[in-house]
Amino acid sequence: MSIKKDLEEIFRDVFEDNDLELFDKMSAKDIDDWDSLTHIQLILEIEKAFQVKFTLEEVMKTQNVGEFIDLLTIKIRK
Amino acid sequence: MNEKELKEALDNIEIEDYLGILKLGKRLMNTIKAFKQEKSIKIAVLGSCSIQHLISALRVYLLKYDIQADIYQGEYNGIEMDALSDGSDLYKFNPQIVLIMTYYKDIKIIPDLFAGDNDIELHLKREESRYRNLWNHINEKCQCHIFQTNFVLPSLRTLGNLEYKYKFSKNTYIQKINLHLLDSKPNNVDFIDLDFIASYVGKGKWFDNVAYFMSKQAFSLEVIGFVADTIAKMIAAHKGLVRKCLVLDLDNTLWGGIVGDLGFEGINLDPNDPIGEAYLNFQQYVLDLKNRGVILAVCSKNDLDIAKEPFIENKKMILSLDDISCFIANWDDKSSNLRQIASELNIGIDSLVFFDDNPAEREIVKRFLPEVWVVNVPEDPANYASVLAFENPFEWSYITKEDISRSQSYIQNKKRITSNLSFNDYNEYLQDLEMQAFIKYIDNDDSTRFLQLINKTNQFNLRTQRYNELQIEQFSNDKNYSLISISISDKFSEYGIVSCIILRKEKRICFIDTWVMSCRVLKRGIESLVMEKIIESATEMGCDQVVGEYIPTVKNAMVKNIYIDFGFEPVDFLEKTNCSSSEGNLYLLKDLNKIKQNPYYISKN
Repeated sequence: MSIKKDLEEIFRDVFEDNDLELFDKMSAKDIDDWDSLTHIQLILEIEKAFQVKFTLEEVMKTQNVGEFIDLLTIKIRK
Repeated sequence: MNEKELKEALDNIEIEDYLGILKLGKRLMNTIKAFKQEKSIKIAVLGSCSIQHLISALRVYLLKYDIQADIYQGEYNGIEMDALSDGSDLYKFNPQIVLIMTYYKDIKIIPDLFAGDNDIELHLKREESRYRNLWNHINEKCQCHIFQTNFVLPSLRTLGNLEYKYKFSKNTYIQKINLHLLDSKPNNVDFIDLDFIASYVGKGKWFDNVAYFMSKQAFSLEVIGFVADTIAKMIAAHKGLVRKCLVLDLDNTLWGGIVGDLGFEGINLDPNDPIGEAYLNFQQYVLDLKNRGVILAVCSKNDLDIAKEPFIENKKMILSLDDISCFIANWDDKSSNLRQIASELNIGIDSLVFFDDNPAEREIVKRFLPEVWVVNVPEDPANYASVLAFENPFEWSYITKEDISRSQSYIQNKKRITSNLSFNDYNEYLQDLEMQAFIKYIDNDDSTRFLQLINKTNQFNLRTQRYNELQIEQFSNDKNYSLISISISDKFSEYGIVSCIILRKEKRICFIDTWVMSCRVLKRGIESLVMEKIIESATEMGCDQVVGEYIPTVKNAMVKNIYIDFGFEPVDFLEKTNCSSSEGNLYLLKDLNKIKQNPYYISKN
């Protein structure tokens, strides 16, 4: 649960929308500003907050909120 | 976001806070459209990698340095497409500045292993011709200034340390290209030393492989503030927004401890003490700045005699009283003292840089004199010099011999004021100066100084028209223009070029397009000498009337009445010529013989 909350903070910060509420299927379709450039921004912020490093493949494949949560759950456990 | 919030946000940007910078950039893009764009400068950014984020950050930093920018974003990897096709969007946009962001992968062919010098030379020539072609094309289509980044040397070294050993290696070759392009560039191209910034932040941090493969970013988003800051400073300098004077505090700034308590011998300047050495190191850096033309001033809360004592009596001091152009020590508040310094040196408050270890003093200056650049002085004197060097308030477009002798001549000026008292009247004093003037039509040798004076002068500037190298070159090849420079020397110093004039012939009228003068030589009768030259040139050009114009700005009120004083008459508009302008006031001298001249004491050469 806390991963989702922390992630929500980051999304709100990057997309500058304090009312943003995450749901698992949420993807670039649902947020106007979410493009390949903000995607990198998002990745950098998440890496910093959770102290993890994503591989290129992970960055490419992680396209919605649920996938981010799954990935982070695995990476943090390691 | 209102103006106050924006100002505060810009003041508080942290160069490493890339997310904050990008967010502010995004908000600016939305609010900036609401601002009137009259004064904005048109900048086109072209790049072989993605430039979207850079533009966002650049917008922030340009505004931080008071530049409103209208920015054109080139297509991804579209440098050639934009620059080489005549009807491209780039040329429709008609930029004043083109910024070309290069990347080492733009270099497609590198010399083979064991290539000889001749072969490497051929490769270099090919890269040169590629960029020459680009620059020429851009210059033909629009009169703009070009900034181009040098190549950042990649950290992927095939040969390891051998890259440095062999001249044919890729890294050595790229270094050579950087130097080669620098040698072969035309005047209106300036290089941005991006490789320095990459080294400064560290190449391990600079290159972000994931970001490159994902979205073709030439450098990590984390360093975007560093890049934008550097570029914005260079553009600001190009627009003539330059800082000229470093104002220094004394206690715990130039030396350790408080001279009022410890005495001139008790302050810490001990080369054998690490802290003393740090202060000496800072003094040396400050002296180096002075030697490149930065004017030094002191502003200290102290009794004047006590404050001066270390400069006179303490042998360990690196700076001497002669290095300081304006020395103020009293118990008044620093913001009024800074005003005093600006007025004594005859420079704008916005050309001051303030360096004080006391955060409270810095806050006061920031609050009451927001135009002053306040250095974010670190707590530790060990880092004084490197922080000042990194903030780099003195980013100029060029240095000239005049700059270097300038800080010297300010000091001479001060001496002159003190010796002034022994004369019966001012004219006697002027005669005693033995001033000499050298008047000439400009040539290549002095075009740099000509350009600098036109673009940097704010106070004695009748129309504040800014021109670039290409325009000046064009004018000097045009029969209808006369470009004149006046150099002055006196028995104390050599001032170099202090006044520039551009005259344009409009049928039988001679229009004073530009008249600027350095404030260092005000009240010396040079105006009269210049006016005499204007009349003389007007006659040579076959004109029988002269028209001048005064376009008011916040800084040039001092020349408001100059044409009236010379006997010109105000006129509303002039038919038959292109002289009319809605911005300024026009003045006509109907009869060249009716000029009202004051005597001057300058011999002409």
